[in-house]
Amino acid sequence: MSTRPVTILVAALGGEGGGVLADWLVEAAMSAGFPVQSTSIPGVAQRTGATTYYVEIYPETHAALGGRRPVLALYPSPAEVDVMVASELIEAARAVENGYVTPDRTTLVAATHRVYATIEKMQMGDGRFDAERALRACREMAARSILFDLTRSPRTRALALNAVLLGAVAGAGVLPLARSDFEAAIRARGVAVEANLAAFAAGWEIGQNGPAPDIAPESGHALPRALAVDVDAMLAETAQRFPAAAIKIVEEGVKRLVDYQDEAYARLYLDRLDALRDLPEKVLAEAARHLALWMAYEDVIRVAQLKSRPERLARIRAEVRAKPEEPVHVTEFFKPGIDEIAAVLPAGVGRVLRDWARSNGLLDRFHLRMRLRSTRISGYLRLLLLAKMKRWRRRSLRFAEEQALIEKWLDAVARAAAIAPEFGLEAAVAAKVLKGYGDTHRRGRANFEMLMTRIIEPAIAEQRNAAPLLRAARQAALADEEGKALAKVLPPAAPMKLAAE
Amino acid sequence: MERSFAKEVALLKKGAGEVFEGEGILAITKALLQAGVSYVGGYQGAPVSHLMDVLADAKEILDELGIHFEPAANEAAAAAMLAASINYPMRGAAVWKSTVGTNVASDALSNLASAGVVGGALIVVGEDYGEGASIIQERTHAFAMKSTMWLMDPRPDHSRFVDLIEKGFELSEASNTPVIVEFRIRACHMHGRFIAKDNRKPSLSRNHPIESPSFDPGRICLPPHTYVQEKQKVEKRLPAALEFIRREKLNEVFAGTQNDVGIILQGGLYNTVLRALAQLGLADSFGTTPIPIYCLNVTYPLVPDELTAFCSGKRAVLVVEEGNPDYLEQAINALLRKADLQTTVVGKAVLPMAGEYTASVVLEGLARFLEGAVPKGLDLAAVGAAVERVRAAKEKAAGLLGAPVPKRPPGFCTGCPERPVFSAIKLVERELGKVHISADIGCHTFSTLEPFYLGNSVLGYGLGLSSSAGIAPSFGKRVVSVMGDGGFWHNGLTSGVTGAVFNDQDSVLVIMNNGYTSATGQQSIPSSTADGRKPRTTIETALMMMGIPWVKTVRTYSVGKMVKALKEAMTTTEKGLKVIVATAECQLARQRRLKPQIAKQLAAGKRVVRTRFGVDDEVCTGDHSCIRLSGCPSLTVKDNPDPLRQDPVAHVNNDCVGCGLCGEVADAAVLCPSFFRAEIVQNARLLDRALWHIRSRFIEVLQGNDAAAPAPAAAE
Repeated sequence: MSTRPVTILVAALGGEGGGVLADWLVEAAMSAGFPVQSTSIPGVAQRTGATTYYVEIYPETHAALGGRRPVLALYPSPAEVDVMVASELIEAARAVENGYVTPDRTTLVAATHRVYATIEKMQMGDGRFDAERALRACREMAARSILFDLTRSPRTRALALNAVLLGAVAGAGVLPLARSDFEAAIRARGVAVEANLAAFAAGWEIGQNGPAPDIAPESGHALPRALAVDVDAMLAETAQRFPAAAIKIVEEGVKRLVDYQDEAYARLYLDRLDALRDLPEKVLAEAARHLALWMAYEDVIRVAQLKSRPERLARIRAEVRAKPEEPVHVTEFFKPGIDEIAAVLPAGVGRVLRDWARSNGLLDRFHLRMRLRSTRISGYLRLLLLAKMKRWRRRSLRFAEEQALIEKWLDAVARAAAIAPEFGLEAAVAAKVLKGYGDTHRRGRANFEMLMTRIIEPAIAEQRNAAPLLRAARQAALADEEGKALAKVLPPAAPMKLAAE
Repeated sequence: MERSFAKEVALLKKGAGEVFEGEGILAITKALLQAGVSYVGGYQGAPVSHLMDVLADAKEILDELGIHFEPAANEAAAAAMLAASINYPMRGAAVWKSTVGTNVASDALSNLASAGVVGGALIVVGEDYGEGASIIQERTHAFAMKSTMWLMDPRPDHSRFVDLIEKGFELSEASNTPVIVEFRIRACHMHGRFIAKDNRKPSLSRNHPIESPSFDPGRICLPPHTYVQEKQKVEKRLPAALEFIRREKLNEVFAGTQNDVGIILQGGLYNTVLRALAQLGLADSFGTTPIPIYCLNVTYPLVPDELTAFCSGKRAVLVVEEGNPDYLEQAINALLRKADLQTTVVGKAVLPMAGEYTASVVLEGLARFLEGAVPKGLDLAAVGAAVERVRAAKEKAAGLLGAPVPKRPPGFCTGCPERPVFSAIKLVERELGKVHISADIGCHTFSTLEPFYLGNSVLGYGLGLSSSAGIAPSFGKRVVSVMGDGGFWHNGLTSGVTGAVFNDQDSVLVIMNNGYTSATGQQSIPSSTADGRKPRTTIETALMMMGIPWVKTVRTYSVGKMVKALKEAMTTTEKGLKVIVATAECQLARQRRLKPQIAKQLAAGKRVVRTRFGVDDEVCTGDHSCIRLSGCPSLTVKDNPDPLRQDPVAHVNNDCVGCGLCGEVADAAVLCPSFFRAEIVQNARLLDRALWHIRSRFIEVLQGNDAAAPAPAAAE
């Protein structure tokens, strides 16, 4: 068989420097004297969409070829790619999906952090593609895979990704080019030469020896932040009362509620769970999770509490990458409506205010617009005052209403579980549709009530297992904002009883 | 234009014998200079924008050669420039994106083609077809046939491109006919090399002006001349063209050994077919293959005797012709029947009627042809195996992935000023209900994709408002038309606004005024203010002169104000057109300009405030309403750090440019209080730091007091 061109396909997102990476490859091949051709389809894909660059290098120099010119292709051929480079996990997976990564031929060099597609991140629940599967497919389909996640380590986070990828390709030794050819290419382009050479060197190391442990791909979830609340005594008690599967969640719940309100409130949580103790472990665990979240519902007081925490500013500083000597000013955007103001007022007053607003059509129209500068003394004091209102929360309108609904739900969970464990589980998880603030919260609440009155309660009354329907309805409730999907799933409202004829 | 093309311009200066290495479209640009053009006009658009960009930056070269370059107002204007070649022996070129640009240009093109030319007239079109295309999928081929212009589709190789551009001018002159040269997306962006020639000074040009006008009634498009011109097309120009194509061997025959079959292909597809043959074990890396190939670098007109010579003695030929209708296949069939040749013509029977001919599409089609035609003595074992390998790989991958990976279409850039307008429209819809939106061409067409899904029709560049004319009167609510500033100057002012004024259209027009034709690469337009330049004119001035009383200019990022303006426009009792000029500079261009400036200021120790947004992940409940109202790439999601919650939380990453939309939307939509704005003071002054220290100390004291209560601390 005659010598064939070495084929390199680069997949990147618009604006990530994939074009520069392709140019470097071309330049490196040029400096080695090889015929090289590259092409791309930038167009509008430049605007954040997925795009590819394709390079072919013929591994015999122009000089050696005399006047002969190889015919190089403009399209990558599935199953005919020698080096697949991807700047992101799903773009690597897309290459795998399209047949550009094959076990007999392809070296896959890919950054495995995620840049979520809009369609993934806009979902009301979790719309992310299964990263574990994507990684596995990459590993299994490639002849050799060099996968790394630069975002995992502060050491590598700031490196130019395209130069690291180039370095990894070079270091992998799969191209007929020397390290000096690549470095010459970076120098020839003349943009941010030193930074790119440093990133290239880091990539070279990865290509030669594989990624260091701190940047090896990791698809597991980040370790959660634990609350350091002193609840040892209560937790000791908890440990004896609940099965192992639920214990971690219950512990978190206790901590959450002590922080949210006080110990007595956490005890109420434990007491409520006590009534469910004999349910199957999984049902109990999910009930414990959603009960804790529900009891720690988000009102203005809670938000102020979270935003006035001492450690918050340090976290923000780290997130926005402020240097130690740089002052950081933080502005908050609060805009509670009458609903949310009434929620934290004493129940009687709150109800009057809300009813008045509702009858005057002001519920959706009036909002208290607050731009709060929490790094200023006045702003911080206002936050702190709001947070301190938690002392009166127990008397507030929303507290009363939430507790009543919680009791109703817990009762339903127990009854549903008695019919079938999976029905109990679904009844517990149904609380997932409750989330957000303002409109979002009202929509979630309405959906939850729909699940209760149209599915859970009728099924309990008829002693029927409604788990599959309930699961479908919950997923539908989180499918769109307008409730179109939910309307399709929900059984029709119970017909009015006709008078006996 | 915020980008410099100095490096590319340097390539255009290469002299005879020097090696040119660069992008295809640059090679084409260089070829125009080598061919001695007197003038070049065009309208930007992928994949041929770079030709325009580079010439716009190449003033020195153009001045020296005397070439007039004009970024025309639209493609019709660019095509009309070619009128210079009707009367005078001047070579001229026009360039645009096709077929949309050719559509706009076709009035001028028809007249040009009828009149005929004495100077070479070349139309360079970027055939925006297949993956990476941004427009409707059609072929330029039809335009060539209906107006009797010649169409070239050069084999992808820089030397061939450059050579055929030169020959194209000669062909045009030899046959008095304009010539279209089409280049596909990948060919335009293809890096390759050729040996340059010196640029040629045109004999008639800015530097060598024409002394007196030439009048020839035969060149006027008015009866009775038009009848004569039509006859000339078929009686004189076509035979002259065929003679030239044949004599100059513009089409190529690559002889093989398997003479019972053959492949006829469009020049642009040559490399793809060769690679597929190699994959089937039937070609080497230098194009040597046993299967004879007839490569049509000129796809219109076909040269009948060349074709019959190639086909005679063959049982079957495969026609590789991209797109539909299958003009070539039909024509080849007709020509062979007329010549009474019984060669079987196989084309769309084994290749798809519609869609791009990618490597795998051609591979499969070729395999089907060979398996069907069974060339004598050819071992077909490798053919089936190659196709099977690809199929098996894709099947295994699909199994491993479990589901199709999420699509990632293009969208608005981080901090794009057009995004907030659609956030505002969504908010207005919450109150007024859904509205009909006539979208337009430009970056703003991305509004039709996730997360906005706004826009009910797209009719063409600058036609947003015109496309409301039919529907507006029949709608219970006012309809909204969207138009970019690029589209406004291209066509929207004359066809849209003029029509709406004349016909008393009662609707709402939103003009995205971001200062550039952004989607094509931020080229300047009459209202551009880039680099602090005074605009030649403004959109508001134009609207005022059209006599439109209801015009409001609103900064796009002020979502609240935009919502108010939109609501007013939708509900006011005032009749007629209501125009909102949504103004803010293209963020891509802005960042390109600002970044080096800020770096300079920082290096000089100047105080710079960097703004960005963030989300408190404990406050976020993971509903992602904010994302559905924005879709900003820097507003994303991350694992929920809360051990009790499962859905991911919103998260602002460090690409954030601090445009402020997150805060505006959270506020205008009454979303949630999880957003915060952080202003980082770089190179802070003494006063900054003193105040900061005092405030921080005080807040720490307040927090210290609070520590009496069980204060949680983060343990990460």
